[in-house]
This record gives sequence, C-alpha cells and structure tokens, in this order.
Amino acid sequence: MKKITNKMEKLYIKVDDWKNFLKGKIKENRIFAPVENNNFLFYENLNEENLEKIVYDKARAVEPVKIFLYPIKEFVVPEIKNIEKLVVMGVTSCDLRAIDVLDSVFKNSDYKDPNFSKRRENILIISFDCKNPYNSCFCTLVGVKPYPEKNFDLNLSKIENGFIVEIGSEKGKEFIGKDTRFYQVNESQIKQLEEDRKKVEEKINEINREFDIKNFENLKGMYHTEYWQKPNDIKNCVSCGSCNFNCPTCVCFLLEDTSTDGNFKKVKVWDACLFPGYARMASGVSPRPTLFDRYANRLLCKYWYMKENFGIIGCTGCGRCISGCIGKIDKRRVLTEVLKEKVKV
Amino acid sequence: MEKNIYEPVKCEVIDNIKESPTINTVVLKPEREFSFLAGQFASLTVPGIGEAPFTPSSSPFDKEKLEFTVMKTGRVTEKIHQLKKGDIVGVRGPYGKPYPLEKFKGKEVLLVGGGVGLAPIRALFLALVETYKDYKKIVFCCGARTPQDYIYKELIFDKWQKLCEKIPLCFRITVDKKDENWKYMEGVVTKTLENLDMDIKNGVAVVCGPPIMMKFTTLKLLEIGFAPENIYLSMERKMYCAVGHCRHCMIGDLFVCKDGPVFTYDVLKDKPEIWA
Repeated sequence: MKKITNKMEKLYIKVDDWKNFLKGKIKENRIFAPVENNNFLFYENLNEENLEKIVYDKARAVEPVKIFLYPIKEFVVPEIKNIEKLVVMGVTSCDLRAIDVLDSVFKNSDYKDPNFSKRRENILIISFDCKNPYNSCFCTLVGVKPYPEKNFDLNLSKIENGFIVEIGSEKGKEFIGKDTRFYQVNESQIKQLEEDRKKVEEKINEINREFDIKNFENLKGMYHTEYWQKPNDIKNCVSCGSCNFNCPTCVCFLLEDTSTDGNFKKVKVWDACLFPGYARMASGVSPRPTLFDRYANRLLCKYWYMKENFGIIGCTGCGRCISGCIGKIDKRRVLTEVLKEKVKV
Repeated sequence: MEKNIYEPVKCEVIDNIKESPTINTVVLKPEREFSFLAGQFASLTVPGIGEAPFTPSSSPFDKEKLEFTVMKTGRVTEKIHQLKKGDIVGVRGPYGKPYPLEKFKGKEVLLVGGGVGLAPIRALFLALVETYKDYKKIVFCCGARTPQDYIYKELIFDKWQKLCEKIPLCFRITVDKKDENWKYMEGVVTKTLENLDMDIKNGVAVVCGPPIMMKFTTLKLLEIGFAPENIYLSMERKMYCAVGHCRHCMIGDLFVCKDGPVFTYDVLKDKPEIWA
C-alpha cells in the first residue's frame, strides 16, 4: 500500500496502529468514546486502559451526542467563559443528524444560544458506522442512513483488521496530520465497506418490516385527543420523561434565575414535555391537560412542528425513546396505528 | 463578542402602584434605553426568584420609564408585588411581533380588554392616541369582575374619557357585578359589543383578557361580523426563553414568543387548545 498524502478522502489504518495513534492523542486531548457496560454503550473519558475497550462495531451509545453540545444543566448568564475542547468518538449517523436539529435551534436561528456555538466549534467528532443495529433502530424509516454522510470530522468504519477513515472536515484532516500510519484505501476495501453498509441498511429495514410510518407527514393536523386514545401503548406512559431526556433532538429546557447577590445568574436545565407541569401556567391551567395531549404533542413536534419551524424533522430513528421506555411503548407501533386512523377519517 | 441573549437590562424600581386587590403596576427605570412597540413583550427577572413574560403597559413613546401591570398568580408575580423603590430587577426583550398599526390605518379600531388584559391594551391605546389621525375611530370596551377589580381607575373613569372630546374615541365600560356607586353597564364584557356603532366590515378588533373572556369575545365578534383576520388576540403561554428555543410556549407549530404573542384569529382557529 502507498503512503498517504492528506488530500485523500478515505484512508485505511490497521487496528493496532489506530490504537497507538489514539494513545498518543489522549495525552493532549480530552477524548470520549463508547465503552460497553451491561450490553450497552456509554461514553467514557479515554485513558490507557479503557482505550482497549472501545466498541467500534456496534450501534449508538446510550447517551445522545447532545450531552456534549447542550448539557443537562448549564449557566447561560453569565455565559461560560472557558469551554473545553473535546473529541467525541463513536457518534453514529442518527446522532449526526440530530446535530442539524440542534444547530437549527441554537445556532442558525435569529437568536444564538450563548454557549452552544462555542461548544460546537470546540468539539471534534469521530463518528463510527453503525454495524449492528438494535431492535429499536429505525433510522432508514426517517430518511437517515446507518452510516455517516455529514457533520463529522472523521468517520471510522471497521473492516477486517483495520478501519476505513473518512475525512469529513479540515479539522479532521489536521487531527490526523502527517501521521504515516494512515494509508490510501484500495478498491477491495471500499467494496467491503459498501457491502457492509448495504447489509446494515437491509437489517434495519428487516427489523422494521411490520411498521408503516413512512407517511408521517400525514400527522399534520392530528391534534385531536381521540386519535391518540386509540393505541394501547400510550396508556402505559407514566410521564417519566425518559423519551425526552434520551432523545438526541429534544431541545426543551427551563430557565431559572439562581442569583444570591442581586446579579443575574441564569441556568438552563433540560425539561420534558411529557411532564404534566411542562406547559402549566401560573394560573394552574395547562393547555395539554391529558396524557394523550402531551404524548400527541411530542410526536407532532417531532414529525410536524419541527419541520415547519426549521425545515427538518425532529426524529433520527435512533430508537432511544423505544429502548428507554419503562412502559415498553414502541413509538413505531403507535405511529403505525395513529396513521391508520387518519386514513380511515 | 455577540450580546448574550439572556442578559437582562438592569432596571431600578421607581414605584409599585396598587391597581386592584390582586393587580399592581410596577414602574421601572431601565439602566439604558429599552424600546418596544405596542404588543411586544419583555421578560422580567426578579434576581434569585425567576423570570416571567409580560407585555409592558406603558406608552411605547415613553423612553424614560417602563411599566408592567401584573396580577399576583404565582411565585414570580408575588415577588413583583413585593418590590420596593430602589430594588433592582432585569428586563430583556422586546420580543415577538407588535400590533401591526400600519394595517389599522384608515380603519375603525375596537379595543376589548378584560381584567389584567387591559395592560397590553393600555400600551396599544397610548400608541393609538399618539397617532390618532391615522384611524377613523377608536372604540374602547373595558370589563372587570367588580368596580374594585378595575385597573387604571383614574385613567378609565376620568383622564382617558376626557380625550373623547378631542379625538374620535368612545368608551363602553362594564362590570360583571356592579355596586351601588356604579354608573356604567353591568354584564360580562361581550355586552359592550352589542349595538356597536362601528363600520364592522372595515373594522379591526383587538382583544386581551383571561382565556374564557377571549373565547366568548371572539365568538361574539365573529357573530357581529368581524372577519377572523381582523380579530387580534394576545395569547399567553408558559414561557422561559422567549426566543424560540425552549418550546414551552408553542400552540401547535406556532411559537407565542416569536410568531406572536399577537395572532389573528384566522391563524389560530385550527390550532389545539387555544383557549387554555
């Protein structure tokens, strides 16, 4: 194999070389990567030890990437002065799509969030191909591929004995620098990558054979509580907000002033629209008094309102709302049933 | 560096006027000029307590001070009622779309305010009075539960009525339940809309009040011939960010903070839970 020049879009590196490359990188970077714990992947801050345990060939992590860009709780007044540089590995394509939603809300709208853009600048994303989707995965049903297409700096795709490294940005290119352990990919490696990707796509389609949600734009106008009282699943909702907090695109937050000295000190904290108090006004009245109204609102927000507001739907098919639901609600089943009701009307 | 969207302008409390048993008007002097247009709102912070959105009730032409008329309903509003002269609060904004006064030009304007809903209407009224030549006529309908519940008593029952001699303006004033000294109408605010001497086809109506009042007023306005697109409603929702991020204020796909808080009825009529 030829030595690389950094102009190449796709490179190849052997597994051991990559590990050694990373060992060098953790000395000067704060790097997070997915590590397995009880069958699930969680982001861990990398060190010499857990670097060996990074999982490259599974699916998304439990935490959505938004935790690095939009933390659960952060001060916005005064804004955070020193936002640290981070490298986040193992972000999957579904979460990369979510970054588009976060950007639309916090960066590209008329008002810019005080911290978000800085976090966005200071993060370097090394995404992974999704190799082994969960049963809750349904990205292909909402127009997302199981492999990264944009919003990454580098993408790693595990193939036999090594990785195909795709360069997604200048920042990614600089991260590799002139390291000689990266080679130009050859034809057969590209072919293997393409075949692998196709297989994963097929697997996701197979997982979702029984669901029909492709006409989700038909949700437009489906406010009426009666539609949402039909699916049995929704009755199992206990308003815990897990679907909200696990979701890579849920952006809702509340803002409190926590000043003790008369100066303003505002903190932004995630909120969940499934909580009964979410929209309740000081008068005690809530515009969404029933569970069905709140559940409907969440899905309408994802598949309709966000599209109206930002031109992009608020669902990436990551399936966290399904796997994290303690009521075992399968959103795909709910959507399939609700959309059937619409057809009847 | 870009201005922090959540950083309020410091304001000194210069007065806190008791309007009714549950409503106060707090008068503020902003550290730097704070301009707004009638109908736009601002977020008022009481440090350490919280923040809530209110439409200023003072004239948009008054560059010296800013007034908010606030009903005591929750944690933040209770604290606002306790503010004393010299206290420091914060105001950020203005946010939202104002009343489109250019669309009111050459028309007859009907204002309908109920209870604390008279607050945003006051800012609009003061702006209309300032530019009264632009409108054919102003009809101002006011309602409250009892005579004591009226806010701006001195203005509504005296000062503003005197303007009727100078400009094309009239008042229709009611209470749900009168007392022995009451000399105006008795009945809910929709009663003031009966036998209106107005060119309704070319009129615009602006409504602000509690949800139930807005609902029945809107239905009455439609009944007497106002077009849905000429009925302006000032909507209220739980709100935190006021800039279209936090999504608490949404009515369907509309942001009260960005697309409103003033909406015409034709825009709202098919949205969910508008009268909550």
